[in-house]
Amino acid sequence: MLRSRSGLAAGALLLAATLGLTACSSDDTSTEGADAKSLTLWHYEGPNSAMGIAWNKAIELFKASHPGVEVKFEEKGFEQIQQNAQMILNSDSAPDILEYNKGNATAGLLSKQGLLTDLSDEFTKRGWDKKLSSSLQTTAKYDEDGIMGNGKVFGVPNYGEFVTVYYNKKMFDQYKLAVPTSFDEFTKVMDTFVQNKVTPLAVGGAEYPAQQIFYELALSKSDRAFVNDYQLYTNKVDFKGPQFTYGAQTFADWVSKGYISKDSAGIKAEDMGVSFTQGKFPILISGSWWYGRFASEIKDFEWGTFLFPGNTLHPGSSGNLWVVPEKSKAKALAYDFIDITMQPEVQALLGNSGGVPVAADPAAITDPKNKELVETFNKISTADGLAFYPDWPAPGYYDVLVAGTQGLINGSKTPDAFLDEIAKPYNENLSDLGK
Amino acid sequence: MAGRNRGYALYLIPGVLASLLVIVVPLVMTVYVSFTKWTGVGDPRWVGFDNYTRLFGDTLFWQSFGNIGLLVFAMAIIPTLLGLVLAAVLFDYVGKKFGDRWAGLFRSGYYLPQVIPVAVTGIIWSWILHPSYGALNRILEAVGLGGLAKNWLGDPDYALYSVMLVMIWFQIGYPVVMFMSGLSRIDPSLYEAADLDGATWWQRFRKITVHMIRPEFYVVLITTTIAALKIFGQVFVLTKGGPSNSTLVPSYFAYKNFFEKAQVGYGSAISTVLTVLIVALAFLFLRLQHRSEELR
Repeated sequence: MLRSRSGLAAGALLLAATLGLTACSSDDTSTEGADAKSLTLWHYEGPNSAMGIAWNKAIELFKASHPGVEVKFEEKGFEQIQQNAQMILNSDSAPDILEYNKGNATAGLLSKQGLLTDLSDEFTKRGWDKKLSSSLQTTAKYDEDGIMGNGKVFGVPNYGEFVTVYYNKKMFDQYKLAVPTSFDEFTKVMDTFVQNKVTPLAVGGAEYPAQQIFYELALSKSDRAFVNDYQLYTNKVDFKGPQFTYGAQTFADWVSKGYISKDSAGIKAEDMGVSFTQGKFPILISGSWWYGRFASEIKDFEWGTFLFPGNTLHPGSSGNLWVVPEKSKAKALAYDFIDITMQPEVQALLGNSGGVPVAADPAAITDPKNKELVETFNKISTADGLAFYPDWPAPGYYDVLVAGTQGLINGSKTPDAFLDEIAKPYNENLSDLGK
Repeated sequence: MAGRNRGYALYLIPGVLASLLVIVVPLVMTVYVSFTKWTGVGDPRWVGFDNYTRLFGDTLFWQSFGNIGLLVFAMAIIPTLLGLVLAAVLFDYVGKKFGDRWAGLFRSGYYLPQVIPVAVTGIIWSWILHPSYGALNRILEAVGLGGLAKNWLGDPDYALYSVMLVMIWFQIGYPVVMFMSGLSRIDPSLYEAADLDGATWWQRFRKITVHMIRPEFYVVLITTTIAALKIFGQVFVLTKGGPSNSTLVPSYFAYKNFFEKAQVGYGSAISTVLTVLIVALAFLFLRLQHRSEELR
């Protein structure tokens, strides 16, 4: 009895110690840590990706402009940071600056918990607000509930991303098909492939790609107001309304018509990308993050991209954010680093490496393919066509959508049941937020 | 006597402290957190039994426990029974007919999956079971059984059975090694006497082998059952609980709530229920083992 009591006491003591929250400082942080002798930086972009190349250059420039400051770069995994960030940022092991996922469920959640530094002053003082279009600023700002779009700036994006349609020109030529310019033409293209015993779409149902196709279809019947309702909780969303009903029903139709293979439910995104690279599928609907990789890996055929036909809204947003943990000991140095990533030289390198820079001089992008990609993104961005991603509204919603779309692919769920399944956690999150 | 042994208590201090830090304190904290609503940061809000009420009404929770029931069958019962037969065959037949080196070689082969990292075996199996270029479907097509080719990990009707198959392959080596070491301590004269009495191999197996290695049998059954209840890595690598939650297991369900949904209180409630179940089963097995030893 005594022993169990002492165990409880020890547990309670440790719990109290771990739960202690540091008070959020509201002081001016612009010079905080300016005299620090090291900057610990984490990101999870591969060294050969556009971001990895550009940020390595930024580290180089930072070292040159900050002699005597050691940059401790630690490469992490996306999952590693995604799942452990709140514990790490709540400890003394927090880095001084890190790349972090954007959206309510991620950066929003951390900002609400007081784990991120308010960057609002730096944002205007350093002119980042002028470099980022208003739609790109959506993911940078979070209110007190952690909802993006308004409030204080907690992160700075320096690249963009969007979902597009990749196609295999060789296979299109083989069946004498032109790039579709309307949704009807797109379905006719896919019908032609099916008639020739070719599954048109490479899909990864075990991860994000399937849900992005569903969202792309829903967006074809949506407007900005609907996106704001869904992503920013402006108004209540009717999951049985025309947008999601069309998205779910058409997705199920695409499966039954053979556009999407029933076998794709268990396929991971990586396998999907590889199958397109190997020329096994003529079409892949996914993000611009594949662009650089396809450019370097596809050798056997010509390929190109076109935006999802008929849509004015597309899944996409700013890229991940640079965030500065509240516990950072070198905040001023972290701001300097972010500033360097926004410099024209780094932005141009990002664009020429297959990424989508947010503040580059278009003339500085020399590769015609990369130029086309950047121009497409700018076109969507300036037309306010970035609709974010379907899994952003609620923590853990990604998994809900993966499970739901898998059900649509293998036919174990009707579109109606799917919509019920995805509505429940969304609405539970709303009630958690008191909305 | 007790007074004389008191000096030895000093030697227990490191172990007790380590147990407190690694087991007792986290356990107490988990149980406490399971009665709160907490995102993992900030102050937990006491909600009483709300997480448990929600848990017992959560279809996913019951589905995950249903799945774990089948996985106990695949990870504990089948490997234990198969392992017993294999160990007996290796020890009593292969070892005697072809030599101990061959028996040792087979034993190592069966044990290999236990040594290879879970992530590696998971990726290899996901290749084998891949619907379009997987070895299993290719083999079935090659021998004219293309109709039996399935989307093994992507179809909710087959995914759990596929994971079960992988887990049988993964687990089989452990009981084989345990039972073979148990068999090596059986007095050979028992088998010789049985031979002289004209006992068949099956009779020797039933009356001597199974009877004599009962302690190992219990150890294997309890450890494999607990391993099945805690299964995480293979499910994470192979299916991530999918498709459509058809392979969801409690530990992965808890993990999702902890790290992906930031529902630490709810995740702790799942972990607490799982812990209670494991402790109860371990206690039951130990009682059974103790009773069987008393009967002997």
